[in-house]
Amino acid sequence: MPEDKTVVTQGALELSEETRIRLAELRALSQKAEAGDKDARRKLRLMVRASSEEVIGRASDVGRRAGRTLAHTAAGGDLLTEEALYVKLDAMRTEIAGEDPTPLEVLLAERIASLWMLTTLLEVLLASEYRKNVEGGPKRLSPSYLIQQSRILESATKRYLAAIRELARVRKLQATAPPVQVNAQVNVLGG
Amino acid sequence: MAWEERKRGGLYYTRSWRSPHDGRVVREYVGSGPLAEIAARLDRTKRELAKAKREQEQSELERLKALAAPVFEVSEAAEILAHAYLIAAGCHRHKGEYRRARG
Repeated sequence: MPEDKTVVTQGALELSEETRIRLAELRALSQKAEAGDKDARRKLRLMVRASSEEVIGRASDVGRRAGRTLAHTAAGGDLLTEEALYVKLDAMRTEIAGEDPTPLEVLLAERIASLWMLTTLLEVLLASEYRKNVEGGPKRLSPSYLIQQSRILESATKRYLAAIRELARVRKLQATAPPVQVNAQVNVLGG
Repeated sequence: MAWEERKRGGLYYTRSWRSPHDGRVVREYVGSGPLAEIAARLDRTKRELAKAKREQEQSELERLKALAAPVFEVSEAAEILAHAYLIAAGCHRHKGEYRRARG
């Protein structure tokens, strides 16, 4: 893997503690509501309205930065490739989000684009490492290393496919479900 | 890999490995004297190189995991939000698929 010299502000690539707490609350309320707790469903509606703007915004932001970091690593110092990957990521995100997307669709599109970048990067790395092993020589990697790397790729691929399914589900149900208003301003093109 | 002390005096270099055929540990008696010393140094160098390679591979894997972690975290956050949104909108899951609640 090319040496990554990106200087990323500490914490810029992770969700804040506050966001994590909100997500944990949303998850707990969703589980209760799903189990039939009507009060939990009412609270969930209120919480989705009240806090998802901020949570979606922050998650989208981290997702966009993570995608760019991956593009930077994949480019391996080639500025033209790096710029092309940024453009590709932006175009992909915009295309997947579609016209007039809801903030949730923007986040789900962000998730798909960054997972696409991750799976592509891992596939390329793994392919080049398999080739090294076929060719032999001192740079041969151990089978356990290749297995572990394949597991990371497998995990990323599963999430990537699940992300696509999730967006399709949300779109299908959004078309018929009564709307839960989420007012969030998310910059699709990033910057 | 070990130096064995013999009863009649002197050190004897042996190396052990697991047989790839039946998994049993095989001990090879290499010898004593300067040639055994060379064999021992060679084995030590091989072990050190293998250890360095393992450490390098481990650090490379850590780097890959660190690269994937933010994407996985955002992915999980998006999943929680999508689920919360759908449940709040009156959907429920049936055999892993979301359905609109009746009524």
